[in-house]
Amino acid sequence: MRRTKDLGKWIIATAAGSLVLAAACTPSSDDDEGESGGGELVWAIGGAEAQPGGVHERIAQLWSEENPDTPIRIEVLPDEADLQREQQVHVLQSGSDEFDVLGMDVIWTGEYAGNGWLESLEDVRDQIEPEVLEGAFGSAESGGELWAAPYNTNASFLYYRTDLVDQPPETWQELCDIATQVGGQEDIGGLIGQGSKYEGFVVNWLEYYWSAGGELYNDDQSEVEFDTETATQATEFMQEAMESGCYAPGFNTATEEEARNAFQTGKTVFMRNWPYCYQLIKDEGVPEVANNFDIAPLPTFTGDGTISALGGFNNAVSAHSSNKDAAKEFVVWASTTPEVQRMLATQASVPPVMTSVYDELKSDPEMALLAQILPESKPRPAVPEWNTLSDTMQDEFFPAYNGDGDPADAAEAVREEFDASVED
Amino acid sequence: MAGTQATADTGALRAGPGRSRGVSETALGRLFVTPAILLMAAVALFPVIYAFVVSLRAYTGRQYEGFAGLDNYTEALQDDEFWASLEFTFVFTVTSVAAEFAIGLGFALLMNQAFRGRGVTRAAILVPWVIPTVIAAQMWFFMFNVNPGSVNALLGLGDFNWLGEAGWVKAVIIFADVWKTAPFVALLLLAGLQTIPTDIYESARVDGANALQRFWHITLPLLRPAILVALLFRTVEALRVYDLPQVMTGGAFETESLSMVVQQYVVLTPDPGLGSALSTITFVIILGVGVIFVSLLGRELTIGRTGR
Repeated sequence: MRRTKDLGKWIIATAAGSLVLAAACTPSSDDDEGESGGGELVWAIGGAEAQPGGVHERIAQLWSEENPDTPIRIEVLPDEADLQREQQVHVLQSGSDEFDVLGMDVIWTGEYAGNGWLESLEDVRDQIEPEVLEGAFGSAESGGELWAAPYNTNASFLYYRTDLVDQPPETWQELCDIATQVGGQEDIGGLIGQGSKYEGFVVNWLEYYWSAGGELYNDDQSEVEFDTETATQATEFMQEAMESGCYAPGFNTATEEEARNAFQTGKTVFMRNWPYCYQLIKDEGVPEVANNFDIAPLPTFTGDGTISALGGFNNAVSAHSSNKDAAKEFVVWASTTPEVQRMLATQASVPPVMTSVYDELKSDPEMALLAQILPESKPRPAVPEWNTLSDTMQDEFFPAYNGDGDPADAAEAVREEFDASVED
Repeated sequence: MAGTQATADTGALRAGPGRSRGVSETALGRLFVTPAILLMAAVALFPVIYAFVVSLRAYTGRQYEGFAGLDNYTEALQDDEFWASLEFTFVFTVTSVAAEFAIGLGFALLMNQAFRGRGVTRAAILVPWVIPTVIAAQMWFFMFNVNPGSVNALLGLGDFNWLGEAGWVKAVIIFADVWKTAPFVALLLLAGLQTIPTDIYESARVDGANALQRFWHITLPLLRPAILVALLFRTVEALRVYDLPQVMTGGAFETESLSMVVQQYVVLTPDPGLGSALSTITFVIILGVGVIFVSLLGRELTIGRTGR
């Protein structure tokens, strides 16, 4: 009697134990596919357009149709750039050949190249350089060497309400005057941008800094040209804008989506944001905004020209890939094939990098404005220490523009960090 | 007891009460527990020890540069960011645990009463606890943020920038944490309340004690083990808080917690030596707090060795 009870318990225990073991030892099915020799390339890219049905997916299918020996499939990464980077770094650090092509944000080139994770593309430079925009090409270089093929780019617009503003302003001071005046009349906010404490804030700050004539490094990032006076001027401008009401309420907690929400529900007069908002405002904005807004280049402090921070994605070949030749062909193809670049522009409002596509599509208002501002867009420096520099700028300038620190001291501290980055 | 022992061990087993010669029951118990302890040591202790080893090395970015001794620790302890995050983490822990305890105790006393709709009330009180923290944090962000301004609309506050003002943003984070975890404290305290026999209250009532006296002299002392367990759990977890401030503010306005600083040096601006040093320091702090609580609990929680 007791024997059978014990036996029953043993059977259950053994069964449970073997189930656990079986689950733990099952190899994950992904590991075996796409490995060396199979000919299939893996493209690690994230964002909305990498999902099934997105434009990157269609481009991958196009390549696979034209190259049945070396098809490519997308490994979908998360939406947020920081999380995409984490996933890619995780794989690259371990030396795995899991990813062949990397969809990299433009600011990671320096870091990835510095860590030896990328295959140099110097031998295909001549195929890419003449076809693509200069700014985008610059973001794929680090230390003078080419590490990636530009894929798509991004520059920012000034969105404004045409029913409240006749002429888009050409200087920041003009913008603030209009913002406070019109905002006060209509009881809405002035300018909304990205002022929350993250990389997007550094982008906004850089646009003020660059438009005041400031520089960060020389051409090959060997010398620091960060100017503390210009930096102080930019930060003080932001501080005044916060206090005077030029910045809409919620500026200092807004990322791209919060800014878009505020503008498209009619709560602000101006918005600084990326081109992706254009179509979304038309589709989702309240009628009085959707029918009464337009885009313009960002103003500067002097009124001459314009400036914008360069965003976008570059495709790079992993140094650990077991299929480097095919991967190289793919990245060059994606950069320099008119059909592919046109797909980005027309199907997804993603700014392409091929100059010829801009000429073709100049009747589209977004493409026309992009053609105007992209030559004036500046990339963030492609140094391996960019994350540290960006983090320091956030730590110093964010409290300063919120009235919680001295702009001049903040500029000094950032200058020190830049100096440290060229020391070795 | 000993008569039902399986005789798989060596040594003659004398039929009779008490111990058998050979392997005693205590030793046998230790033997059976050893594999589990070894496994837990491997899984739990190894990362801690490895982190300590890594913290003794110098790195530039991700490149290993050589042995660094305690340099990483001096660097960490001189870092302003570390001290600021320590201050915020302590303030957060003390404030939120105190508030959670007070509110949780109130809920527990309420749930312990018998009234109509008690089941529904209990379920409703538990809802915040079951929502994943990240989702709750995102939800509170949307509600408190000026755009779209749900809280402002509800309270008629116009454009009050909850998340953009230095003092208020901390209050908002603490509020979100208390909202989420007070139910957990309530659960633990409710379990403790239900172990208190009702006849004690009866005799106290007969003796003329009012509600407040009954609460102070009967409930609280008898609830002591449950209170200490709840405080231990919540304090240790609050010291490790990461997702709530990360999602709601990204660390702005000095709301960066210890874990956020560690994560930054491990992932965003990688320096494995410094990150591991910060991680080890965090571990030591939390271990210290945990040990204090456990010693306060004393013998209250250990099950009687000889069945007393």
